[in-house]
Amino acid sequence: MIPMALSLPRTRATHMQGQALTMDETAFRHLYQRTARPLRAYLIRSCGDLALADDLLQETYLRMLRSSFEGENDDHRKYYLYRIATNLLRDHFRRRRLESDVVPERDESPGHDEAVHLRSDVGGAMAELALHDRQMLWLAYVEGASHQEIARALGLRAASIRSMLFRARQRLAKQLQARGLRPEVEVS
Amino acid sequence: MNSRAKLCRFEEAVVAAARSGEWSPELKTHRDGCLSCAELTLVVAALAADAEELAAMDAPPPDPAPIWLRARLATRERDYHRATRTIVWVQRAAIAVALAIGIAFAPGLWQLVSGAFSGLDLSISAPNLPRAAGSPLLVLVVSLVVLGLLAVFELTVAQED
Repeated sequence: MIPMALSLPRTRATHMQGQALTMDETAFRHLYQRTARPLRAYLIRSCGDLALADDLLQETYLRMLRSSFEGENDDHRKYYLYRIATNLLRDHFRRRRLESDVVPERDESPGHDEAVHLRSDVGGAMAELALHDRQMLWLAYVEGASHQEIARALGLRAASIRSMLFRARQRLAKQLQARGLRPEVEVS
Repeated sequence: MNSRAKLCRFEEAVVAAARSGEWSPELKTHRDGCLSCAELTLVVAALAADAEELAAMDAPPPDPAPIWLRARLATRERDYHRATRTIVWVQRAAIAVALAIGIAFAPGLWQLVSGAFSGLDLSISAPNLPRAAGSPLLVLVVSLVVLGLLAVFELTVAQED
């Protein structure tokens, strides 16, 4: 299966503001049912805190509804949600950095949920990586995002994603190997 | 270290195979002999298993109903602010005009009011009014009480609406 490209919306926030909800409740529930769990998984692995992930999840859907973004299809809407979630995560860590005046290479806040990170070897390994690395790896290898869309979601240069992803992958592989998993061992 | 040099041309095919679990014999042979692709396989398979585990977590995601409700409330609030924006601007303009007029005519008004009060004798009844009307002071107090009660009534009704 070739990873499909993310078709993120081209609409501007200012253009979207001030419109009525374009989605009815049934359509919203359908979208939520289809996307909430994988999106929450992305948020949990990115921030390592179940309660925070649930808060950000709700805020993500709320922003999508308030933006009145319609999207061309379910995939379009799904990736729009990932983009909002990524921006919310970035804002959250930026605020925390301003409050604590410490750059959070890893989430070590009091609300940090060890149980979530250590739920599996993979969670523990991911917890050792920087936020950008976690997001990049998840978008690329779980959600199948293209380099261009990862760059757009993370606010990075598309040209640098390939090498950054390669290095993030090496770091995660190293962490996984430290936990007893080897390249020749297939997980799942 | 030049990481670009280590990128493998089979990368996309390996990612697809690791995610689907469908390996062609050639690709499997390549993966077993390529350190980069072996690492990639480990990472992709590990993340896929982790994503599956997280998606199947016992704790369900938050109920979508409050999210929908909050979005609707926010939309209504936005519509309300948009609808009343013109009225608010008109009110502000009216207050500004009234203030300007008040400031312009303040000296004349003060003279008028002070002249009216200085000629008022509140201690006696008005000779030309009927006896039942009472003193001007009583009329003033009763009027203020009635107006006050009306204002309280209006405020109560407005709050209930």
